[in-house]
Amino acid sequence: MKRLASVAVALAVLAALGAVPAHAVAVVGQPAPAFTLTDSHGKAHSLADFKGKVVVLEWWNHECPFVGKHYGSGNMQKLQKEWTAKGVVWITVSSSAPGKQGHVDGAKADALMKEMAGASTAVLLDHDGKVGKAYGAKTTPHMFVIDAKGTVVYAGGIDDKPSTDQADIATAKNYVSAALAEVTAGKAVTTATSQPYGCGVKYAE
Amino acid sequence: MSPFVRFSRGMLSALGVLAVSFGPTGAGAQAPPGRHVKASLVAETDAVRPGQTLTVGIRLDMEKGWHIYWRNPGDSGLPTRAKWELPAGFAAGEIRWPYPIRFTTGPLVSFGYEHDVLLPVEIRVPAALVATEVRIAARVDWLECQEACLPGRADVSLALPVRATSAPGSQAALFAEARRRLPRKDPSWRFSASSASGRLTLVVRPPRGTALREAYFYPVAPRLLDHAQPQLLTHEGGASRLALARDPNGAPADRLAGVLVAGTGVGAVAIEVDVPLVSGPARTSLKQERNP
Repeated sequence: MKRLASVAVALAVLAALGAVPAHAVAVVGQPAPAFTLTDSHGKAHSLADFKGKVVVLEWWNHECPFVGKHYGSGNMQKLQKEWTAKGVVWITVSSSAPGKQGHVDGAKADALMKEMAGASTAVLLDHDGKVGKAYGAKTTPHMFVIDAKGTVVYAGGIDDKPSTDQADIATAKNYVSAALAEVTAGKAVTTATSQPYGCGVKYAE
Repeated sequence: MSPFVRFSRGMLSALGVLAVSFGPTGAGAQAPPGRHVKASLVAETDAVRPGQTLTVGIRLDMEKGWHIYWRNPGDSGLPTRAKWELPAGFAAGEIRWPYPIRFTTGPLVSFGYEHDVLLPVEIRVPAALVATEVRIAARVDWLECQEACLPGRADVSLALPVRATSAPGSQAALFAEARRRLPRKDPSWRFSASSASGRLTLVVRPPRGTALREAYFYPVAPRLLDHAQPQLLTHEGGASRLALARDPNGAPADRLAGVLVAGTGVGAVAIEVDVPLVSGPARTSLKQERNP
């Protein structure tokens, strides 16, 4: 009884802290959290619009050195080109809050993507961070792959070399590419999770 | 021998310390190099003895408001790394990590250090050492963050005379402070851990007479816990339970390894934890533990 009581107290305290199932996060094997966001041109996109297609979500902050590694080297743009050409929907998401590092409005996002020859399907603006938090996006970059049925099949880092050094890209194993190759071939994703690495997403405090 | 070493030998022998030179940022030059953390290399003793294990330390001094990361950086960041350049026959061990503190930014929690930290490293010195002086060097890479992050790098070095005996160097106090913050193995603290439906429980039995009023568990593995979730401490009899939330996209684990920091401030103690992770509800009764 004493033990039950202490468990009950613990649960009550956790609930009070708002800590009980805080997990509206994107979990591999489960349905991807629904969202609707406006893109850099002012057009709204919902995840449901992409049903039947494989979707990549890429968390982005152009001032973060880890993002700089993958855009400065052309690695991210190369992946975007390759996979959108194969019918994959590639969504770049900015969750930097107003006044925070990497915050962009639509015009700024467009100008940056043009300058870097970005090739994602759309850049979505998540200024209040709701979608980032719903996915549990921690870093820039943080990558998610969603299959044609809307199930999360990959969540984690872009590759296995956590660094800001472009020279590491050549020898890194790119988990997103590997996951996309498998999921578009109708296969199960071998490495479905990995450590996301990068700058913390610059959410509002 | 480089002109630098020749120039500074007298000073070095006296101090056991050497200044820093910031190296180029190399292939990662796409980001401006960090300038808010200064690195240097120091030795615990004033000389190198053939056949000894020498303790050196990477000292990192951070500008106010900036921080660097622990071995598990938490939700974001990178651990500090060192690549050694040593005389023939010398071998450097891994960085030993003083226990960190937490940095909370919005919904994210990371682990690291602010102000300054000394990261001790043990270096094996060959018994058959024939030299009057040795130079120990390292390229140190870190990530420094305030709100924004910058990669930092420095080439640090240290020259020490070779002698049959050595004495504590001028920086010995720094090492004593770093050792106080290194997690220790202590069998008088007993731990067990269990896992059930996305929650982990670390059961802690402190030594008799020690009340566990405040505790935080820092996991070594970066993908085990949901770092942002609070760790709730409850008590039952002589045991305390720390409720931990699992990273829903985490890696499978059969052990719970990390550092338990009990108490806060100067009275804090850091104990190494490395126990099997058992499936099912936590067991807290001593009777069960004696008869597993």
